[in-house]
Formats: sequence, C-alpha cells, structure tokens
Amino acid sequence: MEPKLIDHLFRHHSGKMVSVLTRIFGLQHLDIIEDAIQDTFIKASLSWRKEQPEYPEAWLTKAAKNRVLDIFRTLKAQKNNSLHITQGTDAIAINELFLDSEIEDAQLRMIFTACHPKLDPRDRISFALKTVSGFSIKEIASALLTKEATIKKRLLRARKAIKSANLQFNIPQGKDLQERLDSVLEVLYLIFNEGFHSNSKDQLIREDLCGEALRLCKLLLNHQQTQFPECYALFALMCFHSARLEAKTNVNNEVLDLKQQDRSLWHFPLIQLGNSMMYKAVETKEFSCYHYEAAIAAEHLKAKTFEDTNWNKILHWYKALYTLQPMASHLLTMAVISMQTKDYKIANTYLKQLKPEDLEQRVYLYYAAKADYYAETDNFDEALLQIDLALDAVTNTLEKAYLLKKKEILKSL
Amino acid sequence: MKDFMMIFVGKEYVDLGMSPEELQSRMEKWFAWGAKMEQAGILKGGEALTPQIRRITGKDRTVTDLTSAEVKEIVGGFYLIKAKDFDAVQEIANDFPDYDLGNTVEIREIMVFDQ
Repeated sequence: MEPKLIDHLFRHHSGKMVSVLTRIFGLQHLDIIEDAIQDTFIKASLSWRKEQPEYPEAWLTKAAKNRVLDIFRTLKAQKNNSLHITQGTDAIAINELFLDSEIEDAQLRMIFTACHPKLDPRDRISFALKTVSGFSIKEIASALLTKEATIKKRLLRARKAIKSANLQFNIPQGKDLQERLDSVLEVLYLIFNEGFHSNSKDQLIREDLCGEALRLCKLLLNHQQTQFPECYALFALMCFHSARLEAKTNVNNEVLDLKQQDRSLWHFPLIQLGNSMMYKAVETKEFSCYHYEAAIAAEHLKAKTFEDTNWNKILHWYKALYTLQPMASHLLTMAVISMQTKDYKIANTYLKQLKPEDLEQRVYLYYAAKADYYAETDNFDEALLQIDLALDAVTNTLEKAYLLKKKEILKSL
Repeated sequence: MKDFMMIFVGKEYVDLGMSPEELQSRMEKWFAWGAKMEQAGILKGGEALTPQIRRITGKDRTVTDLTSAEVKEIVGGFYLIKAKDFDAVQEIANDFPDYDLGNTVEIREIMVFDQ
C-alpha cells in the first residue's frame, strides 16, 4: 500500500465533516461537533498505523457518521433541549447529507455563515479558515502573522455572535444573497491576498492560503445559485496570480518583483484556466473590481518580457478600477505606471492628488515613487530626500534593502 | 535473531491540540516507518493504545481512573520486531516520528527462557 495520502486529505475532510454535522445538529453545537471531528482524526492517525484503510476518505466519512450518534448521546447527556434535529431525520436522510453534492452545499452554508454581517469583519477570515478549511488556531495565526491568542479571541467572538443572533445555517436568497456574496468574495479575496502577499518566510503557508481561497471559490462556481460573473472574475484573478506564485521568490526565499521574475516559471495551465474563467466572467454588463484586477493581472501575463508590458492598457484598467474603488493605493500605482511609460507629467498629477497619510503602512511606497519621479526628472537632491523618508517608514527588511540599494545608486549619480 | 519490543512513551496527540494537517503528516511518517519494517520482514506486530488508564496499586488495590492529560507521560503503543541486537533496533528506532514532541522509544528484549 502507498503510504502517502492525498495532500491535505485530513484538513479538507475536517472542513467537510464539520460543515455536514453542523447542517445536521445546527450552529449552536459547533463546539461539540469540532471536538468530535478532531477525535476522529486522532483515532485515525493512531489506528491507521497498523493498517491503512483501502479507501481512507470513505473510512473518515463513515467515522464522521458514527460521530452523529456520539453527538446525539452527548447532547442527550447534557439534557440539551435545544437539539435541532428535524423530526423524522432518519439514517437514510443522514446518509444523503454525506453525498458529495450535499457536502459542498454544507460547506457553502458555512462560508456564508462566516460572512454574515453579524460577524465582525475581522473575525470572518479566522472563522472560515477554522471551520470550512480545517486550519488549527496555530496554523491560522502563522498564516495571518498574528498571535494565537488573537485568533482565539476572534473565534470566540465569532461563535458568540452566531449564538446570540441565533444564525441559521443556510445560503441566503434573493437580495440578501447578493449582499452576502459581496462579503464572501471579499473574504476569499483577502484569504488569497494573505497568501499571495504574505511576508511569511514559509512558502508552504503562502501556497496553502492561495490554494484554500481557490478551492472555496470553486465551491461557489460549482453551485448553481452562486455562479455570478464576479465569482468567475475572482476565480480568474486567483488563477492568474497563482500562476506566478512559484516565480515570486528566489531560492533564498526573497520576494522578486515582476521585473525580476523568471517568466518561464509561470504556470501555463493556470493561466489557461484563468482565461477560460474570464470568458464566463465577462458575460455581464456590469464589471466588478475583480474583473478589472483580473484584466490587469492577465495583461501582465501576456507580456513575454517586462519591457513588453502594455502599460497603456494596464493604466486603462486601473482607471476603470479607480472609478469603482477610489483608493489611494490605486492612484499611486497609476503614478508608477505613468513613469514606466515616461509620462512624468501625468505621473506627477497623480502623485499630487495623494497625501502621505492616505497610504498608511504603504507610505514608503509613496515616497519611493516620488523619489523615482525626482530622479527621472533630474532633481537628485529631492530624490534623495524622498528615499530617506521612504527608509524611515519602511518596516519590511527586504523592502528596506531594496530602498538602500536605490539610495546608493542615487548617491553615485 | 532475537525478539524486541519498542515501547513508545510520552505525550498523546489528543493532548497536544494538533491540527488535521499535522496529524496527517505525522501519520504518513508512521506509515513510512511501518512499511519500511514490513518490507524488511522484521515487523511482528504492534498496537496503539487508547489514552484511558485504570490504575490499580498497593495491597489495598486502590483504583484510579486517569486519562493521558492527567499524567506526565503515557505508554502510547508498541511494536514487536525481530533484530540481531539492541544496536540494530536502535538503528530502526531512528525513524520514530515523534521525537520532536519530546517522546521516547524504549527498547526492550523479549526474554527467552532456556531450559
């Protein structure tokens, strides 16, 4: 027997089973459910030492079904009158809930629950990663570069909110669906970005988060009720970015920007998948910010070399994005793009619209862009001043090294 | 060849709050180790033990029920293997997956009673 199991089998299965059991017992029993599922995996990890089952996934599902009875007993022992089983739920009905399509349905319910407006936006990602994705508190903390205690607090708060609002475990309908979907997409987008832009040294964590976001987004696309153009657009965006994930760091685990990346390392099948998703995404009159971000990412991927990049087109998409999302960081990017095309005057008009405080932690990028602008327009003294401001504001060591290098070059001019 | 027992002592997974992902990766190491011994034809048996303990001590036969969480360490399981000597078993025990948890392998020889 092959000793190796499918990657992440336990983690994924945990998310599936927690969702299905929650559908059976209701959200108010989430604690008991999570403990019971955890118990299944511990038992599997011990008893499989002796003999690995022929179909591990089926074994785990069967074990989870058996947990249904355990949970029944636990709840009965607690004399819990709030037991939420519908009348006449019998063995057959429970079996049906463990069918693949029903498991996906249950997971979607969990995602939509995680994104319910009653939950604090800061708690949504942690709650989703814990329940739907089977991450532990420790894993969430290291993925989000946050303390374990903070994650624990967020999870507690999320559960409290669910209980006190007595949330139902379902996918909203009609107008509610559209609103909730926006928050679901935002959470998936943030999970993906945590992975893609992570400062974590651990490449695995980055890949895990990106993979998880893709997997959850795919659940939306598999479900008839949630096949919206913006879901396809977000999926396409994730494909395009993921295609570059491997090329994003060098062997020393240093982050490489687009200019330095080895484009032959880009993952072509993902680009193709992203393209085919884009065809579905554009079957709409109204584009979302994900549409524009995907278009921008696609444009970068089209260029065979950095010099081949069609900056005019990218600027065009950024302008469209900026009208939807008037964010300072977009303006800054537009300024940087204009410098790529040597349109320094236009770059300056964008820079002038910005105030340093608009950029928050990214303010060093603003100063760095200004330094570039002054250097390109031969005002080296001012450029040096801006670089020093950037150096004062930067926290990331890699970025700092990059800025210091720039400063040396400027000084030698 | 002689018969030996490798006894695993230490902390239980259930008390360490391991994630499904960690459990899977540990289990895969156990698979690999077991498969290696089996291929070498030296594996004679083994069991994993549940974390419940009923302890009976003293002439009064005092009974205490405990779980792994209440004791400093617990015997988690064992393997029975055939090997030439202690050194050979030590070599095999190198692949024990849980040293990083602070867990221990105790090697004991099965006593053979020559008449």
